[in-house]
Amino acid sequence: MSVDINFQNVTFTYEGAQLPAVKDVDLTVTEGEIILITGPAGSGKTTLCSCINGLVPHFHEGELQGDVFVRKYNTRTSRVGGLASIVGMVFQDPESQLVTNSVADEVAFGPENFGVPREEINQRVTQALLATRLEGYDEREPHTLSGGEQQACVIAAVYAMQPEIYVMDEPLANLDPEGKAQVLRVVVEIAKERGKTLILVEHALEEVLPLVERVIVMNKGEIVRDGPVEEILEAGDIPFVFTRPPVVRLGEKFGLKPLPISSAEFYAQFQSRYAAEISPFEVREKEPIPEGEQVIKIEGISFSYDKSANHKGEVLKDISLSIAAGEMVAILGRNGSGKTTLIRHIIGLLQPHKGNVVVLNKDVAQTPTYELAKNIGFCFQNPSHQIVSFNVRDEIIFGLKAHGIKPEEYESRIRESLEFVNMLDYIDAEVFDLGKGQKQRIALASVLSLRPEILIVDEPTTGQDPRMAQEIFEILQRLNEAGTTVLIITHQIDYAAAYARRAIVLSEGSILYDGSIPELLMKKELMQASALEMPETTKLASLLSPHGVPPWLVTLQELDQAISKLVVAANGN
Amino acid sequence: MAIEYRKGSSFLHRLDARTKILMFALATVVAVVIIDPVIMGILFLLLYWIGSRAVERDYLNKNLRVLVVIFLTFSMFQILFFTPDDSYFLFYLVPGKEWVAVTVEGIIRGVAVFFRFFSVVLSVHLMLYSTPPVDLVLAFTRRTKTREVLSEVGTVLLVGLLFTIVALLSWPEEISNLPLASGLRVAVVGLTALLTALVLQRVGARGLPPEMGVALTLGFATVGILSQQTQKITDAQKARGYDVQPKNLIQRVQVLTALLIPIFLATLERSQDISIAILARGFDYNIAERTYRRQLRFTREDYFFITLMIALLLAGITLNYLGIGNLTEQLILRLIAG
Repeated sequence: MSVDINFQNVTFTYEGAQLPAVKDVDLTVTEGEIILITGPAGSGKTTLCSCINGLVPHFHEGELQGDVFVRKYNTRTSRVGGLASIVGMVFQDPESQLVTNSVADEVAFGPENFGVPREEINQRVTQALLATRLEGYDEREPHTLSGGEQQACVIAAVYAMQPEIYVMDEPLANLDPEGKAQVLRVVVEIAKERGKTLILVEHALEEVLPLVERVIVMNKGEIVRDGPVEEILEAGDIPFVFTRPPVVRLGEKFGLKPLPISSAEFYAQFQSRYAAEISPFEVREKEPIPEGEQVIKIEGISFSYDKSANHKGEVLKDISLSIAAGEMVAILGRNGSGKTTLIRHIIGLLQPHKGNVVVLNKDVAQTPTYELAKNIGFCFQNPSHQIVSFNVRDEIIFGLKAHGIKPEEYESRIRESLEFVNMLDYIDAEVFDLGKGQKQRIALASVLSLRPEILIVDEPTTGQDPRMAQEIFEILQRLNEAGTTVLIITHQIDYAAAYARRAIVLSEGSILYDGSIPELLMKKELMQASALEMPETTKLASLLSPHGVPPWLVTLQELDQAISKLVVAANGN
Repeated sequence: MAIEYRKGSSFLHRLDARTKILMFALATVVAVVIIDPVIMGILFLLLYWIGSRAVERDYLNKNLRVLVVIFLTFSMFQILFFTPDDSYFLFYLVPGKEWVAVTVEGIIRGVAVFFRFFSVVLSVHLMLYSTPPVDLVLAFTRRTKTREVLSEVGTVLLVGLLFTIVALLSWPEEISNLPLASGLRVAVVGLTALLTALVLQRVGARGLPPEMGVALTLGFATVGILSQQTQKITDAQKARGYDVQPKNLIQRVQVLTALLIPIFLATLERSQDISIAILARGFDYNIAERTYRRQLRFTREDYFFITLMIALLLAGITLNYLGIGNLTEQLILRLIAG
């Protein structure tokens, strides 16, 4: 097997940075390997990828030590364009990589640059769209596609360039579960069919681990682990760096070998090891949904972006719901099901053409948004859209000023809100220097500084590593415990289940489900219909449910306890 | 309302981008040459008819409606101030003081001016509605290094011939005043026309460098995304509690900065993203040898359309040559006199 990529003692420091982004990296990748690179945010994964296709050092400026060879070319002396004919790169955010006005143009862009004759370009476009299941999308505008389709389009564009090496930097991060499944399928088919090298950077271990052969774990710019999947999994967790999926950890705890990755594997091994007897089904007390004062009342609203009288294509159809003070509610549903449209009505960014919305006893139709914003905090998906200052302190003051808070209170409010999001150390930091997760928390802090009674958060965890995602959910939980009503749109049903009690599932503009999350987890058809991915732990719980494990368990701890009971029972007999 | 490309498959949509650029150029020349209101009116209606089959009439009208007022003003000026000495006087606008005479010729010219301006603008609109911006840019971009000598020579000869005819018909007196033998005169005119055609052809064939063409294409694709982003940012600021349209001027400036900073940053971010994306897809591989998926191709419809436009132009010039360019005006004056 020939060597595809060779890093020889590579260290790279971005211009102006104190510490190197990758440090002392030695790495050899042979042809046809499928590799997962994982590690916390800021561990140098993206920089490593940029080294392979020559963006480092040709686009990102800084100091490069050591040499990177792609096939026989030294990246230092090769042009990015030349390397692009060997290395196909897919980045995290699909929207930022789509540069033309139609899908076919997008796919043709690479081959055009390579001077491929027109007839062959057309062939390649057809092939690439077929391979990514985008047939018939030729003339669609890329930015009107769903996230999964957009990412598939980016992959098609890279596929049409016929590279020898595919490098994908968190291709699943910005997608909903359905999009993830779609893209993953495409990625695997391409890698397997063409026998090309594939390097996949991902946090979504559960999804990706079954597909790869080799795992590399990075931390602080260094490769801390490198080896076959089984070996890496057996070597255990590294705190704050590498956390194996819950099913793997449970497998280790209960002595299953080889370590199971999926719930089905776990169950098969578990059964053969412990012939667990069926114990009576114990039903956990359902936690009651608190009944407080109704702070949000939505009555029969319908909404359409079509402003003419017939309201074609309603995005919301006759939705009614009410939310009590002190609740924490997860809003779930596939992309385009109307989640964001719905929450925009709560703060008056959109007005329904039918029905009405009352929030904190104010009619939203009669109250301007800036008035409502006094008591309702609203965090958008992309924190960059709401941050207006260059400095963290100024950013929070900006909001306080707009709401006429007395200047004496500024300092205490700033400290209080930053402390809440664990960012007090960053009080004088420049916004530019912050990572996405930190920006998200600053945006949250500037909303919290106004002490809202209701907090609405739109997908706060997209594109963040598991630890940051968990931290955000913990912040929301603390807020909720302090009495704030929290509404959160999310695709991460495992976190939602662990932190929220009530879920509202939207589908095509209607409410498909409104009730407790454990009950939702037991409705498999409904979950499937809404493209809600059942957490692997819940799948396991449901497999074990004939043995008395409640099928709605989500967290590792809950499942651990339940299985321990089973094991004790089995050994007791 | 933005004037932007609308998908479709009408006659106009099927025409080559270059034909439509030519349509705009010829419509401009025709509007200069033809001064008769009735002919111009018919041409305008013809264009409008073609246009209404390409895009919905509502949409077409919406963008034209704004211009009616402007062009009516132009017409008014023409009516009020085009008063040659020998023109047929109708009445004074301010009767007591004998100010601002209105004449028959003025009215006729005014109507003609209205249609002439409108035809030019309409042809631009139609071009933009029915042609993807990518194709327009492509038409201006240098696409191929190999030169098709035969078709180039053909084009130069054809355009040269056209120019010669135009020149002979338009400036017969000037040409006959040339201090040369009559055969030589025509030859000189022909040669000049041929040279002009050659220069034009060279400039046209050269086109924009491919880098610039691609950059323009990417620019067109970005406009939509940036405007979406601007909307998102405005919403985010509203939700943070800014009154986006305050009455107080100082507050309004403050709000504007609150919007401008994130929009500015988003735009910067986007341009950074694009440069990474196109580099990773081999943009600097070998730009001079770049190929194009989209193909500009003349069909029979294109040739038909171009021929029609040229015929119209020639007809207009011939009318002027024969001294009946202002046919309607002459007829009306004769009616009044008779």
